[in-house]
Amino acid sequence: MADCEKLLAILEEKFGAKRDLADKWGFTVLVERENLHALMLFLRDDQSAKFDVLLDIVGVDYLGFKDYEGPRFAVEYVLKTMKAPVRRMRVKVLVSETDCKVPSIADLYAIANWQEREVFDQYGVVFEGHPDLRRLLNHAEFEGHPLRKDYPAHKRQWLSTNDYLLPELEARLESKGYKIVARSKEVMPNDDEYLEGSRKV
Amino acid sequence: MTALAEKANIITSSLDFIVNWGRKNSLWPFPYGTACCAIEFMSTETARYDLSRIGSEYVRFTPRQSDVLLVAGTITYKQAPILKRIYEQMAEPRWVIAMGACASSGGFYDAYCTVPGIDHIIPVDVYIGGCPPRPESFFDAMFQLQEKIQDESYMKARAERVKEQLEMIKAKTAECKENAEKAVKNAVSCGVQTIKEGKDNLMKKVAFWKE
Amino acid sequence: MIVINPNGEQQALMPLNVGPSHPATHGCLRYMAAMDGETIVACETEIGYLHRGFEKMAERGTWQQVLPYTDRLNYCSAIMNNIAYCRAVEEMLGIEIPERTKVIRVIVNELSRMADHCICVAAAAQDLGSTTGFFYLFDSREKTMVIWEKLTGARLTNSYSRIGGLYRDLYNGFEEDVLDVCNTAERNLKDVHACFDRNRIFLDRTTNVGVISPERAISYGWTGPCLRATGVASDLRKDEPYYDYETYDWNVVVGTKGDVYDRLMVRLAEIEESIKIVRQALKRLKPGPIDIVDPRIRVPAHALAYQDMEALIGRFKSVYEGIRVPKGEHYCGSETANGELGFTLISDGSGKPWRIKVRPPCLTQFAAYQELVEGSMLADSMATLSSINIIAGELDR
Repeated sequence: MADCEKLLAILEEKFGAKRDLADKWGFTVLVERENLHALMLFLRDDQSAKFDVLLDIVGVDYLGFKDYEGPRFAVEYVLKTMKAPVRRMRVKVLVSETDCKVPSIADLYAIANWQEREVFDQYGVVFEGHPDLRRLLNHAEFEGHPLRKDYPAHKRQWLSTNDYLLPELEARLESKGYKIVARSKEVMPNDDEYLEGSRKV
Repeated sequence: MTALAEKANIITSSLDFIVNWGRKNSLWPFPYGTACCAIEFMSTETARYDLSRIGSEYVRFTPRQSDVLLVAGTITYKQAPILKRIYEQMAEPRWVIAMGACASSGGFYDAYCTVPGIDHIIPVDVYIGGCPPRPESFFDAMFQLQEKIQDESYMKARAERVKEQLEMIKAKTAECKENAEKAVKNAVSCGVQTIKEGKDNLMKKVAFWKE
Repeated sequence: MIVINPNGEQQALMPLNVGPSHPATHGCLRYMAAMDGETIVACETEIGYLHRGFEKMAERGTWQQVLPYTDRLNYCSAIMNNIAYCRAVEEMLGIEIPERTKVIRVIVNELSRMADHCICVAAAAQDLGSTTGFFYLFDSREKTMVIWEKLTGARLTNSYSRIGGLYRDLYNGFEEDVLDVCNTAERNLKDVHACFDRNRIFLDRTTNVGVISPERAISYGWTGPCLRATGVASDLRKDEPYYDYETYDWNVVVGTKGDVYDRLMVRLAEIEESIKIVRQALKRLKPGPIDIVDPRIRVPAHALAYQDMEALIGRFKSVYEGIRVPKGEHYCGSETANGELGFTLISDGSGKPWRIKVRPPCLTQFAAYQELVEGSMLADSMATLSSINIIAGELDR
């Protein structure tokens, strides 16, 4: 615990981070979103912290939480290291509903790309600076963000037809230095091949 | 001719028997496995509960070469158009088995993303309950499917297919009959008229000669 | 499509959709590959075909009602997910489970791990063309499933562990059955190694295929046998031990190069290590209680409810209100067969979970798939896909 206190003192001084009291069993630090990127960079590279594994990015919706006043959403980062004395910690950022943006850390950890896409998909939190923010788990025609507390669990949405991944593939090729000269043709299904109950976009 | 084409007889029922015997004892499954039921299906195909003893020797992972579409696992809305397309790519005769609770009714995933049963998308022949169903349940389902296939009739299926043609043939035959009757009536009336004319002429001649 | 590659030459690439309906049971993954002949130049993956809404369903019921949903995460080794979840909730409740429960949980954990590794290598073998390996490896798994059936009532998705204990105690003859499984597994491993170790085709198809460096793997957050295959000796059972794992005599299996061969061989070697742990754990089994005695957490036995008032109240409250987990947020990770399965639990003090987030080990491994596959051939991509052990239930939740 002494190591946690030391680390907390450094983080408090540098980034204005406070200890989150909701986590009574581990070590969670609450930080403002302006300092988030710098804090994560520090945690990854500095010798006293060296958190090289980003385990998870969790989105939380506090709508209806008993005795809670504060911004509606929270994004929590779960970190781990095998080298430094403090082995695990979490970083929490509170995000309000009206200004639902958080700086992206996809340039620090390779896995943050997909995990931030998932938080965007389920909660609608936009990650600024993310290279390719689109849905991960729900289908392309899904409207809404299902894990929010005001999205009814039984509200089903049909998908009319699967999307071609060609635009994304071309973006990937371009990021590797290829230039697209002629695109492939996308063949859409006939009208009667769309699923009943779905809407054609 | 049409009556003969519709009724089953000893030849067609023997043909039915042989065709269905061949089909039911060589059901090649296409395991459309998505979730846990697929693992239980893998157990069914391995040595302990051997699936090949009922004719499904090896699983064909392509719809073009398989008979039974075995949907094992949850189908989500993202997956649904693909399931439909795969079903349409299968050649007849084809059957569908919905394996497990998730494929039959959505299971206990009553959520925004799961299809509540694949019969919202494709027609299903046999439903297997269980989460996941035991290999013995799976065999029971295959046996029920075999019984269903046994009761199929080639002539009935053929009658379904050719129903339109038979209707057309019937209509055409009726039309021809009508035309023939009309022609006969015409001919008869013509004949009657000629005879009457002949009689009249004869009467006139007789009268002429009398005078 | 026609492109101009970085060297300035014009190339014709073919987009090939390796769709969500795959051979071998890696259903529900899709990638669109731009092919130059047989080589994959660029690849774009898509997941979500088995997204069943675990996290939304978990918010519907009580803490105990989440347990069957956790079964279906990594359905090849369902009990490990149960135990990981129960461990997370027990840490939040601050309770200590009895000794016998710890030993039993270790035994079933390791048996599940063996079963999961068997399936992974079996599916990989089938993808590479060796149906023989597939059948050999399923032998010990079938015997394990018979044990599960006798112990828990279900073959595959058995919700065996409970918050504060287990579903029920071991049956007579459990030790003999488990020892039989261990012997069968050793025999099968010998056969499988005879099939693969010096097999020219297997070696050609798996060595130097799908290589990843340790730094890149750590940046992707890899854990479990895939990370150990790159050379990093990271195992939660040794680094942050729980359930007395540090008192057993076993080794962490580490690979060298991080290619497909290493990943599969690490799994086979881990089966041997698990057999060691199971044999030692069986000797430690001593009679005792398996549930903690706290009617607010572990529901009292059914027979007692007809006799004792407190037991009746305990059962009633447990079913209707759920276990009251103290308010707060907690993350707890356990070493499952694929890596670190973590649960972030957020409780508002009532009996229903506010938020449960699963940290699936497969997601990190599949996120790296693009990098592993670009530049290799289509057949190599199949070998890579089966070696990183994607379980769609866990990946998409």
